[in-house]
Amino acid sequence: MSKYLYLFRGGDGRMSELSPEESQAHMARWGAWMGALAQEGKLLSGDPLQSQGKVVEQAGAIIHDGPFAEGKEMVGGYLMINADTLDGAVELSKECPIFELGGTVEVREILPFQQP
Amino acid sequence: MAVPEAFESVVDHFFRHEYGRVTSFLSHRFGTTHLEQIEDAVQEALYKAMKAWAYGGLPDSPTAWIVKTAQNNLMDQVRRQQNFEAKHADEWVRMNETVMEAEDLDEELTDDTLRMMFACCHPSIRQDYQVLLTLKILCGLNNREVARALLKKEDTIAKGYTRARQQLREGNIELTVPLGAGLGERLDQVLKVLYLLFNEGYTASEGSDLVRLDLCAEAIRLSELILERPLLRKPQVHGLMALMLFQVSRFPARQDEEGRLLTLEEQDRSLWDQRLIRQAHNHLQTASAFGQVNDYILQAAMAGVHATAPDFESTNWQALLGIYDAQLRLNPNPVIRLNRVVVVQKVHGSAAALRELDILSEIPTLQDYYLLYAIRAEAFKELGIGDAAREDLQTALKLTRNDRERAYLEEKLLTL
Repeated sequence: MSKYLYLFRGGDGRMSELSPEESQAHMARWGAWMGALAQEGKLLSGDPLQSQGKVVEQAGAIIHDGPFAEGKEMVGGYLMINADTLDGAVELSKECPIFELGGTVEVREILPFQQP
Repeated sequence: MAVPEAFESVVDHFFRHEYGRVTSFLSHRFGTTHLEQIEDAVQEALYKAMKAWAYGGLPDSPTAWIVKTAQNNLMDQVRRQQNFEAKHADEWVRMNETVMEAEDLDEELTDDTLRMMFACCHPSIRQDYQVLLTLKILCGLNNREVARALLKKEDTIAKGYTRARQQLREGNIELTVPLGAGLGERLDQVLKVLYLLFNEGYTASEGSDLVRLDLCAEAIRLSELILERPLLRKPQVHGLMALMLFQVSRFPARQDEEGRLLTLEEQDRSLWDQRLIRQAHNHLQTASAFGQVNDYILQAAMAGVHATAPDFESTNWQALLGIYDAQLRLNPNPVIRLNRVVVVQKVHGSAAALRELDILSEIPTLQDYYLLYAIRAEAFKELGIGDAAREDLQTALKLTRNDRERAYLEEKLLTL
């Protein structure tokens, strides 16, 4: 069993087209999807991210408002899950509601930090 | 899907209703001049809620969360505008510091929603715009949903709403519930819009059941909101509630499998929702207790007579005739008088119905109305005068283009 990270990108642009009703339904599907992961003991943690932040460069010599990524590339949230393999983690991501709004999920294995 | 349950499920629309409540709340505080920004701010708040709540579950007070977030969004937006005045800034910041107790907040939101209802239905705004404003602001429907519900094109709705919002803004309409002498007329206008909304949902023959039922449910919800305030509990509000509940109780029975609308005579009465009928009766009783008569109460009373009859044959026609007479005293309208003939025929027989129709056929506005001939054909048929009945049905067919009515008349011709 390994840990995997889901990075959610995009999907925000089309949110503004949703009615309150549709937002609520969409939210309910996120809740259901994560609830199912939690029930199976696969969900470790996760949070949404504020769209605005700062980008720090050169030890703080340059700080600007960011990220400036395009809407479809912007990381909107992350999730850490348990899965046996990368393929298994990919399989679990397929039900994610982000795809309804044209977003993507980047799946990365989290390497265990080993004491030397 | 069985409709009564669908009706239940469409009643619970947290986000949609919070949208209307919070938009009303902010509009009351900052004025309808900012309505467009307020709408964006609330939309964005719901969107943030969606993201945050999906991950972390609901906050203690979801409503307070949305209000606060929307308020912050609004302030960010207005700060970014160059023409922002300093005196406003103080006001806005002060507002943001006001932390309300959850219970007070809820009361405030209800009051502000009522204020917004009266503003959206202000007599200075065109009536179709009043409907549009109500659907968009108070029901939280987006253009696509409004278009689907009203069977219009989406961009027609978008353009109409822009103009409607402009009328609301430029009319300098205060967000208040008029009290005292001014209340009656304004309340009647609000009820009229709610009834229009209800009828759009109830009478449309196209579109999906769920969308139409949704409009009916929204009209009922907003009427319930009016009844939450003792000062607004007027007989006409109870009358309208009774009428809407009686009608919606028949929703599951009003169509056959092919989607054809069924008459009261043809409907399977076991499908009528008895719980809604009981609620309707309660409202009708409350409405009547005021000792005043109005059109909603009379229409509800009629619907009530039908609702209590176990089958079409045992309808209390005598009672219906009495209600028609009361309606004519209130509003001497030839179409009501024409509809009354159907009941006259049941109570006094076909010959009496024909005598009444003789008088009515002298009224110019009825002479081109298919229903006059359709009703007369029925009386002729009962009296065994088949030729006259056939002639009237053919005249009726020439006078209507409505497919449903034509199908009905053609069937009558065949069974003559």
